[in-house]
Amino acid sequence: MPTITDNALETFLVDHQDRFYRLAYSYLRHPEDAMDAVQTAVCRAIERQDRLRNPAFFRSWFYRILVNVCLDALRRRGRFVPLTELMDIGREDPPPADELLFRQIDALPQEVSTVIKLRFFEDLSLKEISVVTGCNINTVKSRLYSGLKKLKLSLEGADLV
Amino acid sequence: MKQLDQIQQSREAYERIPIPDNLDERVREGVRQGRAARAARRRRRVQRWFGAAACFAVLFMGLNLSPTVAHAAAGVPVLGGLFQVLTVVRYDRSEDGVNYTVDVPVVEAEGDTAAAVNAAIQTEMERRLEQARRDWADYQEAFFATGGTEEEWAGREMDVIIDYAVKYQSETQVSFVVTMAECWVAAQEEWYCYNLDLAGDKTITLRDLLGENWADICNEAIRRQIGESRDSALFFAPAEGGFTTVDENTAFYIRADGVPVVVFPRGSIAARAAGALEFPLV
Repeated sequence: MPTITDNALETFLVDHQDRFYRLAYSYLRHPEDAMDAVQTAVCRAIERQDRLRNPAFFRSWFYRILVNVCLDALRRRGRFVPLTELMDIGREDPPPADELLFRQIDALPQEVSTVIKLRFFEDLSLKEISVVTGCNINTVKSRLYSGLKKLKLSLEGADLV
Repeated sequence: MKQLDQIQQSREAYERIPIPDNLDERVREGVRQGRAARAARRRRRVQRWFGAAACFAVLFMGLNLSPTVAHAAAGVPVLGGLFQVLTVVRYDRSEDGVNYTVDVPVVEAEGDTAAAVNAAIQTEMERRLEQARRDWADYQEAFFATGGTEEEWAGREMDVIIDYAVKYQSETQVSFVVTMAECWVAAQEEWYCYNLDLAGDKTITLRDLLGENWADICNEAIRRQIGESRDSALFFAPAEGGFTTVDENTAFYIRADGVPVVVFPRGSIAARAAGALEFPLV
């Protein structure tokens, strides 16, 4: 069975580190914790790459590792900290519109916000998201629609596949 | 505005999340750690048996775990001279969601110093393994208490890696570092340094290496290197828990070229973003 080469995986991890950091930060809202999460996920991926059964899915495989590391970190904290709680500190003016929606996405239930972020911020397909979350694709679709409905957004014209 | 444009704008807010300057360094450290862990796993699969003369030190450490594999081997490295550093317990197994990869070094030599070091390693390792089991059990409890499901829990696992590296060796002296890591949320390592003068049957101190002014020599070198570091802003001020002075408990190892290297636990005198804190005393 073909395996991903060491160089290909390491190159992927180094080249896309900014994306991984932003995703981790969107969960953890703390630069040091986000870097810890990325470092842990990278270490784990390199160590366990032999377990990757189909190298064609190594992107979603790594996102799965990263998302799980972030969720573990949140649970270790003992609670999920709503973004609004963090970002309202010291703020006097209403947030700009783009940031407001960003907040609303973060305030969704974790399993729903994960799907939204992976789809619209990281450009993963629904199939890839099902690999990341360990859920079947219908569950992913259901969560996506649920999230967009809560955000009062329409699917019209959306490329959701 | 089309609603999908709103998503695009929120994506722009997401893309504006600033990237820390040292992210690349942390990622590369993760790669290095991953490579080391992967190599350690692979080494475990190569079972090398030496002759009877090398297998005289077969000791089972009496750990609480029940290993499926425990091998004695005259190991890496064979130092010769007055002593050898052997690996007498090897673990590579998974139990209750915890993956153990353990190489425990034992110094085989005459005298009380080697025995004391071996006992200290044994004690620390058992403490660390027990701590790992408790941490994992506590985390599992918290996981379900905060709404986690069995589906989400499946596949969660933690790695406990205990390994060692010989940093320096001569006919009569050895310096090695035992690393213990619990890798599940943040990649962390704890280092335990051992510096032995086996001819003199004693541990080597910084005073032995640097003389009576050892503390001043260490302090000057460390302060200079902190000041010259590109991450100097990450170091805590002395009044905030930053570096003040070395003492008899300061950990160090001896590098291959004979230079002592002082080590501080990550996050002790600087933010964890500063990475491993090692100061060669040159």
